Amino acid sequence: MQQSHLKQFREQVSATGATMELVARSPEAVRDAVLARASTNRPILIAEPRYLSPDYFRPLRSEEGVLTSPYAEDYRSAPVGVTEAFAAVARTGSVCVDIGADIAGYVSLLPRLHIVVVDVDRLVSRPSDLFRLEQFARPTYHRSFVFISGPSATADMGPLVRGVHGPHELHIMVFC
Amino acid sequence: MPKHVTLPREVAAKESRAILRRAIRLALDTESAAVRHNTRSFNLNRYRAIAALPDYDALKDEARRIKEHALANRTALLQRLSESVTRNGGHFFFARDAQEARQYIQEVCKRHSVRSLVKGKSMTSEEIHLNGALEHDGIRVVETDLAEFILQAADEQPSHIIAPAIHYSRERITALFRRKFQTDLPLDTGEDLTRFARERLRQDFLAADAGITGANLVSADCGSLLLVESEANIRLTCIAPPLHIALSGLEKIVPSRREFAPFIELLAASATGQPLTSYTSVIQPPLTVPVVDFRGVGPATREFHLLILDNGRETLARDAQLKEALYCIRCSACLNSCANFQVLGGHGFGGETYSGGIGATWEAATTGQLKLARFSDLCTGCSRCATQCPVRIDIPGLNVELRWRLNKSIPLSLMARAMHLLLGSSVVEHASTQQIFFAHYDRVARLGTLFAPVANFLLNVPGTRWFLERSFGIDRRRHLAPFPRKTWVNLCANEATQKEDAAQGPQVLVLADVFTNYGAPERGKNALRCLRAAGESVRLTKSLPDGRAALSQGMIETARAQAEALSEYLAVENAAERPLLVVEPSVLAMILREYRKLLPAEAFRKLQNSTMDLVQFLARHLAEQGSDPCAIFDIRKFAPRPRVFYHAHCQQRAVSDPSITVDFLRRLGFEVTCSQVECCGMAGSFGYKKDFYDVSQAVSEELVEQWKAAENAMGPHTLLASGVSCVEQLQGATGRAVLHPVELLAKLL
Repeated sequence: MQQSHLKQFREQVSATGATMELVARSPEAVRDAVLARASTNRPILIAEPRYLSPDYFRPLRSEEGVLTSPYAEDYRSAPVGVTEAFAAVARTGSVCVDIGADIAGYVSLLPRLHIVVVDVDRLVSRPSDLFRLEQFARPTYHRSFVFISGPSATADMGPLVRGVHGPHELHIMVFC
Repeated sequence: MPKHVTLPREVAAKESRAILRRAIRLALDTESAAVRHNTRSFNLNRYRAIAALPDYDALKDEARRIKEHALANRTALLQRLSESVTRNGGHFFFARDAQEARQYIQEVCKRHSVRSLVKGKSMTSEEIHLNGALEHDGIRVVETDLAEFILQAADEQPSHIIAPAIHYSRERITALFRRKFQTDLPLDTGEDLTRFARERLRQDFLAADAGITGANLVSADCGSLLLVESEANIRLTCIAPPLHIALSGLEKIVPSRREFAPFIELLAASATGQPLTSYTSVIQPPLTVPVVDFRGVGPATREFHLLILDNGRETLARDAQLKEALYCIRCSACLNSCANFQVLGGHGFGGETYSGGIGATWEAATTGQLKLARFSDLCTGCSRCATQCPVRIDIPGLNVELRWRLNKSIPLSLMARAMHLLLGSSVVEHASTQQIFFAHYDRVARLGTLFAPVANFLLNVPGTRWFLERSFGIDRRRHLAPFPRKTWVNLCANEATQKEDAAQGPQVLVLADVFTNYGAPERGKNALRCLRAAGESVRLTKSLPDGRAALSQGMIETARAQAEALSEYLAVENAAERPLLVVEPSVLAMILREYRKLLPAEAFRKLQNSTMDLVQFLARHLAEQGSDPCAIFDIRKFAPRPRVFYHAHCQQRAVSDPSITVDFLRRLGFEVTCSQVECCGMAGSFGYKKDFYDVSQAVSEELVEQWKAAENAMGPHTLLASGVSCVEQLQGATGRAVLHPVELLAKLL
């Protein structure tokens, strides 16, 4: 079941113009994958996870140029943002990011590259599944969230252009 | 002096036919190319997306049910929503009209000393003319949706509900930005233009004191908003400034967040044709994330205001005939699947805010002025939108109702009275002479047929076409078919076979619809030949008007009277409820679709159960009998190469599946290429009318292109179309003979 969902998710992610990779479920693997994807771009902003264990982002946090409490100026200039997603949706290639309480709302929005980490166990089939999950009944849990399906895009200027007011690139790391 | 060029704003409020005509001219001359390209690409993507949605129909049913229920319970939901917003720490305000809404927002902005403000796309804010009011207060208002950004620079009204600048080509945007922003930066590609707008707007987002958004849905249980977008400007508008004001019509409220679920995929598929657009936000403001001090003014706390707007919606909700317009989720499927909208866009086919077939009811309701629904005349009733609407709104039905009300609001002219008298109308209904003429097609055609030699002579007398154009607005460029000397009923009354069949008692009845009876009697005769060749015993009914012609002119009372008379006649004639077969698709759709609203439920059900498309009946019947259709219809008798280009009638597609006919033809050995257009553009009387002739011709271009492409790829095709008006339109546009499927079949006998 999860395997076929993952296959569908991979296809849909690519259709939205995003990229994805499978990453081992370890803090070091997260660090290495993020650093590889971010290349030399700094600073990297990180929103603390609330659903994944904070341990996963710990080695990354101690890297140079990685910020967890950015100032306004950092938000203006940072080229990379890293957040977790509390769920992913196979049919639409979406990741669901909680933007209610923490800085994930900014970190997933202002940088040109958004890297998002999600556990394969949190992969659901359809968007509507999220409205059925038991935890959803508690509004404080996902008080505000967004289904992110690819980078920001527009067709208002003629042809399809990726990268408008939000990220130009979306990279999804799936814990497998 | 240069010749005056019409600007979109000048023709936004279409309160008269003269303005409507100017708007159509503007749209066809300057906006059509971009609109055609963009709407058709939306439409194509939408068809792909809904085909990939596994439970599309179930989602539509659920969405419709939620909307019906929410609207019926609007008062309680409003109360609950107000409590939820307050509980969340937000402020709630219910505005009865546009002025109250503007004032409230102006006051909030004053209280916060707002100097600059960013906006996400909100049709509701367009509706209340918010920007002008805020600018009057000295506030810098920045539209951040790129399409709205274009319109703000150009000072134009939206031309589409989800892509408000759909009428702008890339080249025109480049020219506009160069003129408006006086810049030397590169602006020659979509990337250049986007980069230019993004860099300007990013500064505006971070400097803004307030953000205003609309909402796709609002949940009463917890005060959550559903916000769907692709550019991320709405997300930024919600999170970057400390003050967030959301503005939404009262029809957007649903009981709880759970009710967002079916709309999420349905909206994305119906709107942009994607599984989901880039961002679908479910937020419960005020956000609890701290405000980042981008403005450099020190710490700030978040504040949220939800403004729910009535502005005519409550009146609309109490209007039994029009209230379903409130179920609209603003996806634009109806606009993109509308053949007329595809060539005009919303500046031609729309009002100041809302556009397309659904837009007419919205303009009338939110302005309180029925005359602003004048552009509903551009709805031909083709019904393609009705099957595409995710909440199943009968948009053509709304427009017929509006037309009827508009007719009622104008006194009946002396000339119109005279026409009613001359034609012996059973109902003396308010309408223009043109409408009365077309509504009583059966009576006009009967007179023409009775006096066929004289009538046809007169048609060719110089001056007649001028007279018809002056008196009835029938465009003189349109070919008028001569009246036949014998009608279908006349032709078949003398047939021996008719009597034999009558003696046996017929198995099926064929409806002698007025369009085939007077317009194409030979086609009718061929239909009977085909049925008899297949072993059916057939009886032809009397030729009674079915009401289609009257309904299309907004003459609902006449249509109802005709529907009742036909239904009563058939109740006797077809007491056994044998299959009632129809040749003309507009009449088939009239009975199967429109009679639901015109007849008592039981009478409608009887007709619904017995009525079907003649060719489809033939195909199914032969299959059920296990007969080989090729033994009856011999493809070797068809002299040209058996290759056809088939355009299925728009209204037919709303009630039956044209693939049955196509499969049948293929079974017989034809190679069939189908048109991929929504409508041929003739749509009954529409293409004959002087005001709409050019629109009709523009619509037909795509159909002709597709036919040419098929011929270029594969060689000559026989042209095939199922409706009287589609046949006329195709013949006019191609100069070739066009057959109805029964005529094609008769050639194989």
